[in-house]
Amino acid sequence: MSCDIYHDLLGDYVDGARASTRPGDERLAAFERHLPACADCQALVADFTSIRRTASMLEEHVPPPRLWTKIAASIEEERRRRWWQRPLADAFPGWLPIAVAVSVAIVIAGFTWFAWNTAPPEVVQQASAPAETLPVAAEAHYDEAIAGLQRLAESQDGSLDPGTRAVLKENLAVLDRAISESRAALADEPANTLAQESLLDALDTKVALLQDTVALATDEGTLADDAAAPQRN
Amino acid sequence: MRTADLELAARCRAGDADAFEELYRQHARRLFSLVVRMVGSAEDAEDLVQEVFLQAHRKLAGFRGESTLGTWLYRLTMNHCLDHLRGRQAKMSRATESLDDEDAAEPMAPAPAVPPAISRMDLEKAIAALPPGSRAAFLLHDVEGFEHREIAAILGVSEGTSKSQVHKARLKLRAILRR
Repeated sequence: MSCDIYHDLLGDYVDGARASTRPGDERLAAFERHLPACADCQALVADFTSIRRTASMLEEHVPPPRLWTKIAASIEEERRRRWWQRPLADAFPGWLPIAVAVSVAIVIAGFTWFAWNTAPPEVVQQASAPAETLPVAAEAHYDEAIAGLQRLAESQDGSLDPGTRAVLKENLAVLDRAISESRAALADEPANTLAQESLLDALDTKVALLQDTVALATDEGTLADDAAAPQRN
Repeated sequence: MRTADLELAARCRAGDADAFEELYRQHARRLFSLVVRMVGSAEDAEDLVQEVFLQAHRKLAGFRGESTLGTWLYRLTMNHCLDHLRGRQAKMSRATESLDDEDAAEPMAPAPAVPPAISRMDLEKAIAALPPGSRAAFLLHDVEGFEHREIAAILGVSEGTSKSQVHKARLKLRAILRR
């Protein structure tokens, strides 16, 4: 009989799988019956076991202390850069797909408008306004979502430990400053796409942070309930 | 566990430097050892682990707790290592190897058995000779002690592929150690 049919089981067997603990695994049981009569498989099991045992005892390589110093310095350097000086993907990870979607929507809306409209160029110029109002609509949508999440987060505020609550509030304050700065920039220059993107970025990050806060508070609350449950009984 | 991870991630995101150092202290030793064995150089490992933690710091906003922070960090680390090795291979104009379809297993030859007590140094040298994909799976399974389903999540492959890579790695190590 060719041993090849059992090769996928050899690893499981070396890792400790046995038919006695896997009732119904007929192939493993067949392999265990095959093993005492097969010198090749016995040699493989012995060698693999020896390799596995030695591998589990390999010594740990210790990172030099300077490694954390270098990491901490790089993080600090990155933090000192203002959020708008960082690449968008680093400053607000997770926002780019929305940015792409919004940009594509604007391009499609503009293209469709031009295709349907036979108005003279100056009218076309004026009609581009609806496309520019799209970020405003998105902003209103964000404001609504943020208001709802903030209400939810405030109602569960007590579930978070004071330290976590403090850092979350501090972070929200930073985001609120970023939102105010972007809105001020847009008030001066409404067509500034970078400012529009930055505003939506900051709003998106705030939504994500509030979602995390609610999730964290819910988890904490559930844990507290679980911990309290046996005492009620 | 997940709650602790989420809380630590939230503290890191909120700019708590102590929290990020805590994350580093929890995982740096194991990750550093893994990277040294993956890339074969402590100097390169130092640079790679630094990049991994910087990327982790930037990407923590995307951590939603679907896996543990440890698994998430291992995934970042292995992606960095495999990219690094692919880059190195490209530079040296070697034949590229796919993660899921590496060289065929060594044929079984009637040679002396692997000694029951393998020297750790011999095993370290033999591991360095493995192709990157099976080296990654072997290190995660036999050295780090991960289950195949965890390795599948870390390497972005199926559980079956993880098992197959570990099997290939053991066969190749056996062939090297019997020489």
